[in-house]
Amino acid sequence: MIFPLIQSDFLKIKRKGMWLLCLIGPFGVVALQMVNYGVRKDYLFEQMDDRWLYYLLNINTFTPLAIVLGIVILTSFMSSIEDETNAWKQLVALPVSKRSVYLSKFTVISCILFLSSVLLFLFVFGYGLTLGLGEDIPYLRLMEYSFLPFFAALPVLGLQLWVATISKNQAIPVTLGVIGVIFAYSAPLLPDWMIWKWPALSNDWGHAYINALLGIGFGVLLYLLGMVDFKRRDVK
Amino acid sequence: MEYIVETKNLTKSFGKEKAVSNLEMKIPKGEIYGFLGPNGAGKTTTIRMLLGLMRPTSGSVQLFGKDMKNNRIDILKNVGSLVENPSYYPHLTAKENLEASRKILHAPKERIDEVLKLVRLHGVRNKKVKGFSLGMKQRLGIAAAMLHQPELLILDEPTNGLDPSGIIEMRELIQSLPKEYGMTVLISSHLLSEIDQMATRVGVVTKGKMIFQDSIETMRKIAQASIQIKVNDNEAAWRSMLANGQKADLGEEHINLQVEDDEQVAASIDYLVQQGFSIYRVQEETRSLENIFLEMTKEEHAE
Ligand SMILES: Nc1ncnc2c1ncn2[C@@H]1O[C@H](COP(=O)(O)OP(=O)(O)OP(=O)(O)O)[C@@H](O)[C@H]1O
Ligand SMILES: [Mg+2]
Repeated sequence: MIFPLIQSDFLKIKRKGMWLLCLIGPFGVVALQMVNYGVRKDYLFEQMDDRWLYYLLNINTFTPLAIVLGIVILTSFMSSIEDETNAWKQLVALPVSKRSVYLSKFTVISCILFLSSVLLFLFVFGYGLTLGLGEDIPYLRLMEYSFLPFFAALPVLGLQLWVATISKNQAIPVTLGVIGVIFAYSAPLLPDWMIWKWPALSNDWGHAYINALLGIGFGVLLYLLGMVDFKRRDVK
Repeated sequence: MEYIVETKNLTKSFGKEKAVSNLEMKIPKGEIYGFLGPNGAGKTTTIRMLLGLMRPTSGSVQLFGKDMKNNRIDILKNVGSLVENPSYYPHLTAKENLEASRKILHAPKERIDEVLKLVRLHGVRNKKVKGFSLGMKQRLGIAAAMLHQPELLILDEPTNGLDPSGIIEMRELIQSLPKEYGMTVLISSHLLSEIDQMATRVGVVTKGKMIFQDSIETMRKIAQASIQIKVNDNEAAWRSMLANGQKADLGEEHINLQVEDDEQVAASIDYLVQQGFSIYRVQEETRSLENIFLEMTKEEHAE
């Protein structure tokens, strides 16, 4: 059963600062807008008639960056916990399938990221209310910009977890991660097929949920590839 | 015979190198099996395959009569193990470390305190493992291996990093396991002296090949003292003794006599004197188990 494994993985991330990261990510994204709106609120209000939408767009310039960075750090932390004393051998010698070991890691990181998305929703909503952006609160858009980046980022999670678990040296996944963060930052310049662009929620069709659906599809695919590869490898 | 561990033609290659080669390991129930071999002999590689951590290049592993390939999870429910250096989570306390395994093993919560007491770490159960000495980490690893009272305990060089009193404690603990819990134990080492007081069976491996596998008594018999006799005509004397029904080997310089007790030595000498041989020398050659082990592994090296 997978549940005890997940509980065990939650126990292992204790005192590793991962919960703090879960809080800092969304807080940081909103804090940047606090600075932005604090300094030039009047100017920003003039930019678009729909002030809520403009506010959400501003928020979303940093959300993808925070998510990709968060994924890089979380996956690398997660596998370094097992790498540090080569605890993989002890873990895999327990009566568990290697597939569930991998699934458990994926699930725990997803949970943390999802919780971050919930916090993002609350922070964005809360700060938005204080700004006086208008009576019509676009709840649907608010939800979209809080949760869809998470789903759209699943392929990045699948890729980073894969590379982090099979690398003995965390320099490799971290290097890949840094490149990913740069990609996420330059999202508007990237072609639509690049997975690092997806959390920005922009595409030629103009529907954000397409990114989320693509994210889930390719996220599952990359997760499966990583899992099969992890299962195939000898544990040293 | 019912074997708890049985490997058939077990082979593992890394590139061209065969780390384990056609290994046939057989461990009957309730035995303490000493798995011996010099550095790089393939002990750890074999143990990794026994635990399903590595896939054999060819051959099979059966534990409890079940094939590892198809029953890995089922088998591992009854196996406790400690492979090479102890693994642990340094940022967690001793108790939390065990809890991480206990959840997966579905062992009762009380077991944590029990095994901690067993390896004398109960006093430091709430300390982070980061600050433990190597010996303490090793003991924690053994505690984790015993959480679920496994039927088979596999320990790869468990005395690594233990001080003399720790080694003695460990020995007493391991010796008690077959008696008290009916456990079967596989314990690897590169020193025979470390395990000859507790092992009931021995397997010696070098360069990936099993070169000896039998009970410790059989190994002791090989080690037993032999009496060397040098006379004026060794070959004639040897023939005469064989004709008389005594066990003897002809060496280059002397006759080797395998005897069980002193009376037999006296009788043999008496016989030779009566036959008119001139006895030049009678000497005892003792070979320690360790010597035999070294000889065994050396011959293999020379090839
Ligand atoms: N993952 C690996 N990749 C390549 N070669 C390996 C690997 N693991 C082991 N070997 C080789 O296999 C051989 C056997 O190694 P193994 O660790 O099984 O020996 P050992 O008997 O446990 O030795 P020691 O007493 O030093 O622990 C060695 O020559 C080693 O170099
Ligand atoms: Mg070894």
